[in-house]
Amino acid sequence: MSPSLKKLAPAVMILTGSLALGGCATKGFVREQVAVVSQRVDALETQLQATDATAKSAQAEAQSASGQAQNNGQRLDQLNARVDGIEQRMQQAQQKRPRN
Amino acid sequence: MIHALLALALVAPLPAQAVEKPPTSEQTVSQTSAAENDEARRSEAATRVADWIAASGDNGALPYIIIDKAAASLLLFDAKGKLLGAAPVLIGVAVGDEATPGIGTKNLAEIGPAERTTPAGRFLAKFGMAAGRQKVLWVDYATSVALHPIPKGNQKERRRQRMLSPAIDDNRITFGCINVPMALYNKSVRPLFQKKGGYVYVLPDTKPLDVVFPRLRAQPFPNAAAS
Repeated sequence: MSPSLKKLAPAVMILTGSLALGGCATKGFVREQVAVVSQRVDALETQLQATDATAKSAQAEAQSASGQAQNNGQRLDQLNARVDGIEQRMQQAQQKRPRN
Repeated sequence: MIHALLALALVAPLPAQAVEKPPTSEQTVSQTSAAENDEARRSEAATRVADWIAASGDNGALPYIIIDKAAASLLLFDAKGKLLGAAPVLIGVAVGDEATPGIGTKNLAEIGPAERTTPAGRFLAKFGMAAGRQKVLWVDYATSVALHPIPKGNQKERRRQRMLSPAIDDNRITFGCINVPMALYNKSVRPLFQKKGGYVYVLPDTKPLDVVFPRLRAQPFPNAAAS
């Protein structure tokens, strides 16, 4: 081993050690990070549940509206028939001649 | 001599055609005198029915008309029973109080002379459409009896003159409808009956009065009450 290398060996070791130690995270740091992520996940989960509830409610309302629309459609059909009948009767009435 | 002939020509009676010519305006017809005549010739039956309606409120707070067939006249009352007017009317040529079944679906030409009655009874009358885009006061829709002014039609029937004449018998000319003076129709009947309608009481020709109006039995005769 050359003398210049001998001089450099401790410095290299120190550098390598510091680099190796710098790459490891402490348990506390990890817990902090996990807690933050966990909070965000919880918040997202809550939000998701709320969104899910809203979606379900919207779906129920949509189904109800669809049913009502169907009913309205049926009523419209019935009314249409009645209007047709009244129109026919009016036309007949306009043909009715009083006995002067 | 010539002057004498001219004078004679001027005072000579008008030809028959000119006499029969209808008045230029029906409104100028001596409505007042006709109404007075009509009021004067109002029958006992009409008075009895009028008293009954006023006393019992049978008109249900609606205006009403009493058609006195025997007198060929009409009495018009407001919803409170106040007499608003009287006028001569034209009615069905046939004497009778019933309408032939199915007459409402017949054409005028198909209606025989004996069927041309103005049915007696109590009718809830309302304005409605009729053939020719006209609006009439339907008295009995089912039997096509309506109340309206004299229709433009057969001039030979001389309906206007019949209405104006003081005689009653010649007022029987229609197919069953009730013809009333135009002025009365436009000024009184239409405004009164247009919204909610009203009642028309047609007095009978031959049937007893209390058969046609059974509720009349509950109304004592005025004479009986006095005696």
